[in-house]
Amino acid sequence: MSISVLDALRPAKKPALLTLVLVIGLFVGAWVHGKYLSDRSPVQPIDFSHTIHTTDNEIPCQHCHIYADTTPVAGVPSVSKCIGCHKSLPDVREGPEILKLAAYWENREPIPWIKVHDVPDFVHFTHKRHIKAGLECQECHGSVETMDRVTRVVTIRMSWCVDCHTEKEVENGRDCWTCHK
Amino acid sequence: MSKISRRDLLQYIGAGGVGAVGGVLYGESVQRNVELLIPQVVPPDDYSPGVASWYNTVCNQCSAGCGISVRIREGKAKKIEGNPVHPVSQGRTCARGQAGLNALYNPDRIRTPLQNAGQRGSGSFEEISWGDALATVGSRLGRLKIENNASRVRLLTGRVRGRLDELFAQFMGLLGSDHYQQYDFTYPSALMAANKTSYGTDVLPYYDIKNATFVLSFGADYLGTWISPVHHSLAYGHLRHGQEGRRGKTVQIEPRMSLTGASADEWIPARPGTEGLLALGIAHALVSDGRYQGSDRDEWSTALAAFSPARVSAETEVSDDKISQLAREFGASAASLAIAGGAAAAGTNAVASVVAVNALNHIAGNLGKPGGVIFNSEQAFSSAAASRPAGHQGVLDLTEAMEAGDVEVLLVHDANPVYALPENVRFQQALQNVPLIVALSSFPDETTEMADLILPTNTYLESWGDDVPDPGVGFPVASISQPVVAPLYDTLSAGDIVLSLARQIGGELPIRMRWGTMEEFIRDRWREEYNKRESAGEAQEFEAFWQASLEAGVWGQPGADSGGNSVPSTSSTIASIANPVSMFAGGESDYPLVLHPYLTATFLDGRGANLPWLQELPDPMTSVVYGSWAELNPATAAEMGIKDGDVLEISSPTGTVRVPALTFPAIRPDVVAMPIGQGHKGYGRYAGDRGANPIHVVANQIDTQSGELAWAATRVKIKRTGEKLQIIKTDGVTRTLGRQILAPKNDHG
Amino acid sequence: MSTFVEKLRSYRKPGYYDEFDYHWTMTIDLDRCTGCEACVVACQAENNLPIVGEERFAQSREIKWIRIERYWEGEYPNVKMGFIPMLCQQCDDAPCETACPVYATYHNQDGLNTQIYNRCIGTRTCAVYCPYEVRYFNWFTYTWDEPLEQQLNPDVSVREKGVMEKCTFCIQRIRIAKDNAKDDDERRVRDGEVVPACVQSCPTEAMVFGNSKDPGSKVSKMMKNPRGYKVLEELNTSPSIVYLTKAHS
Repeated sequence: MSISVLDALRPAKKPALLTLVLVIGLFVGAWVHGKYLSDRSPVQPIDFSHTIHTTDNEIPCQHCHIYADTTPVAGVPSVSKCIGCHKSLPDVREGPEILKLAAYWENREPIPWIKVHDVPDFVHFTHKRHIKAGLECQECHGSVETMDRVTRVVTIRMSWCVDCHTEKEVENGRDCWTCHK
Repeated sequence: MSKISRRDLLQYIGAGGVGAVGGVLYGESVQRNVELLIPQVVPPDDYSPGVASWYNTVCNQCSAGCGISVRIREGKAKKIEGNPVHPVSQGRTCARGQAGLNALYNPDRIRTPLQNAGQRGSGSFEEISWGDALATVGSRLGRLKIENNASRVRLLTGRVRGRLDELFAQFMGLLGSDHYQQYDFTYPSALMAANKTSYGTDVLPYYDIKNATFVLSFGADYLGTWISPVHHSLAYGHLRHGQEGRRGKTVQIEPRMSLTGASADEWIPARPGTEGLLALGIAHALVSDGRYQGSDRDEWSTALAAFSPARVSAETEVSDDKISQLAREFGASAASLAIAGGAAAAGTNAVASVVAVNALNHIAGNLGKPGGVIFNSEQAFSSAAASRPAGHQGVLDLTEAMEAGDVEVLLVHDANPVYALPENVRFQQALQNVPLIVALSSFPDETTEMADLILPTNTYLESWGDDVPDPGVGFPVASISQPVVAPLYDTLSAGDIVLSLARQIGGELPIRMRWGTMEEFIRDRWREEYNKRESAGEAQEFEAFWQASLEAGVWGQPGADSGGNSVPSTSSTIASIANPVSMFAGGESDYPLVLHPYLTATFLDGRGANLPWLQELPDPMTSVVYGSWAELNPATAAEMGIKDGDVLEISSPTGTVRVPALTFPAIRPDVVAMPIGQGHKGYGRYAGDRGANPIHVVANQIDTQSGELAWAATRVKIKRTGEKLQIIKTDGVTRTLGRQILAPKNDHG
Repeated sequence: MSTFVEKLRSYRKPGYYDEFDYHWTMTIDLDRCTGCEACVVACQAENNLPIVGEERFAQSREIKWIRIERYWEGEYPNVKMGFIPMLCQQCDDAPCETACPVYATYHNQDGLNTQIYNRCIGTRTCAVYCPYEVRYFNWFTYTWDEPLEQQLNPDVSVREKGVMEKCTFCIQRIRIAKDNAKDDDERRVRDGEVVPACVQSCPTEAMVFGNSKDPGSKVSKMMKNPRGYKVLEELNTSPSIVYLTKAHS
């Protein structure tokens, strides 16, 4: 009669399987959270639609995000910039969302937009370099021009940055200190 | 495949469920907080997000008047560097200058007007509004003016120059009080007085270290604390290696090695108080060996007859040979320069000592030529050039007046006499006789603590002003000081406070002082200056000039002679040659050691002690941080059985301080040295209650000729208390032990 | 497997680049240095060095990417003091790089010895291996008394507890200079365009910084000075900092 290792392990089989199921559950949960539960599309203080501005009215991105090709920051338009158009064009003076904008302007208060794309503080990222390199805004931000509310289509992680740098053979693009600060 | 029981199935589902919930919770926990994207309401013209802009202004950490550039990102000041186009700093800054950001963003700043809410000096204050504060002061001053008692109002400030000084003077003048005085412990009183004697001018000359080949410094720590350290350091670099094939030499004479002494080729520890005598000994050698061939050679010989090297050698403890060698080198160098400062200009013989050093420059023919003493004009940029004396005599008079009950309102701006005066001047006690003390200050300190009313001021990085550097740079130059950030708190600049008070008081004051703000006043004065120089003077053109000056931070006419460069005659110097030996307070038998208090490159006279970067900056000579100490020669310490960290009781005839001992290899055995700067009692959290203030035990000895404080003329005795205190220092082993650290190995032998 | 080991070895070899892109180098003239410590404060301001407090100083836990060391020679009265600014020597054969188990410190294409804070796990081995003792460990997460934090340089990370840090030759300034050069027709960085904070502040102009691969740069010329030497050269660390020893008149 031989002694089977499997037999000896039999009492441990069920706890092992239970643990395996638990771990699989963990991954599933984290994935579900990342995909469906995290706020990739936060509700903004004003229900601003890029579709109306960019697709319907054909305003180019950098008309409002004026710093994108000259500074590290693309720049969210100033309140004066928004009200500038909305005051001078008669057919966009009314409407509940535009009145909200007017209220911010009246009180000289900035609009507290919620960040959709957030790069951690230890990362040096510059819009200027990427635009000068010929990237389209959509390559990172997705088709914002068709979004009524901006949704983040990518997960901003180091691997995502490095993959692109590798693929495009960016000069020193894989040196840590190109992006870390 | 075996069947799974119902019980097992539920367990597996349970495990999977717990896992999934855990995964979601994990995802939630690593999610970054919601961040906001706040736009500008109306963006400023020159705004680019994520890109720095630089604004030029003037440093106020000491009186050198360096131009600085401040790096601004998103409205916040990030870094101070020297203004590259400013002729004083030429793009460089010292440690103190850069720590100005700690002053701006100091957590201990006074944020609103305060009034005393208890016993005077108790340190309890309550907030009041600007309206109430200004009305209280204004009505009191107005009443005194109407009663013709305005002379009972006194204004004491730190060393203020430029248009703020003019504004203060105008305000006090219109009020009817001629009691506006300044006090700055670092003010070179003896130098001013001696130069007045030798050269007949109140304006400091330019000491051209840059082009000198031999610099003989009597106690002047010109690389660390003396007059304009950044400018001198630039010059020093040039002296060493600025010219091909030539390396200038420096010699430092002082009882305790300073930063400058450490860099000097020779360090000569002459007996304290005899530095001027040594200068006369060198002068004697220069004249007697026939180097000097001027027409007044005989007069020099007569005046210097008593100062033969043999006699001088005995009193100074510098050898005969050394004196002759120094005389030889001084006379033979292409461009020699003698300067005096520090302890050598702070004895009871201070003026006589500096005159003796001036005599050396006379004899060697160093006046008015490159590498020597170059004279600045008084008319460099309007009347603001000549600065107001900021010496000791003024505060002594003030103290006397306060004691006599002649002062009803004392206004103090940016000065801390309670800290920076010897205790036996009894300034703090005299303050008790003043019914109303008003302090204009950005920080709480020992003097504001005594105030009834504190009017919080902007720091210099939030204020308008201008400055004419003193000493100048050999051509007309003036700097503009502009706010580089908006005021952080409910504070006003000192100039705006004065203008507001003028409006409160009424009468002719607001008519004569018609400017709404300090900015308007500065612009107005610069417009006058511009019109004086450019006969056209159309408004359009001035606007361009003003914008250009603001951008550059400085206006100047390089190449234009400042007009003061005529060489004064030697006669008054010869006539003022006197025996320059300092008299010390305290007999040698009771008080065997000489106290050598010294200004530190970090705190200067203590004003830098509330800046954390400076508290954490190791002392350049000892590497000590956060504290004070008393330096003793290792031989003296060994003789008295004193070890590093033993707390000593250092007693002068007028007071006692307790401070830990530190052996220091480069100090005379009969001297105990103490850094000035620590020992604050109410100067914010970083100055804390650390260390001791040597100024407090300095006897109130006066230089006989200038009436200034002889702060290096006190003897002390020391006693071990038996206590120990850890001296925190960053240095470990301070010998190279033959390693290749300071030089290649073969040089070490 | 063996190719993997070879590859690993080649990465382990410090300075595995055949040729650097730029080679950032510094010279420090000890005959100009006066020990004034302007550079020390400049570095603190530029690189967000923490204010550690008296207690931490007493435990030798201060963080100063550049410090002034002082060495005495002789005895009173013939006593001399020598100052030497000590900072990361950016060694081309850096001992610290061979030590890190997680490759948090490595050599980059510009000849810089760099430290990646996110990768560092805080073994402190590199600090032990460094003969110049210029690596500093964050024993704590330091905070700034409000509103001192408003001064912090946004171009530099604020480090947290558990990571090693050291001089970067102000890599953020190098980055800005490269960025400007790229904007300007993709040209190379010119001599004098990159000035680290310490070099910028130095009131005696004792420090010179530049690309030693450019034979016309000021730093290349300074390196040829006969007074030049490298600290602890016998250890074969190949430092990127050349000191010029004190001269005599």
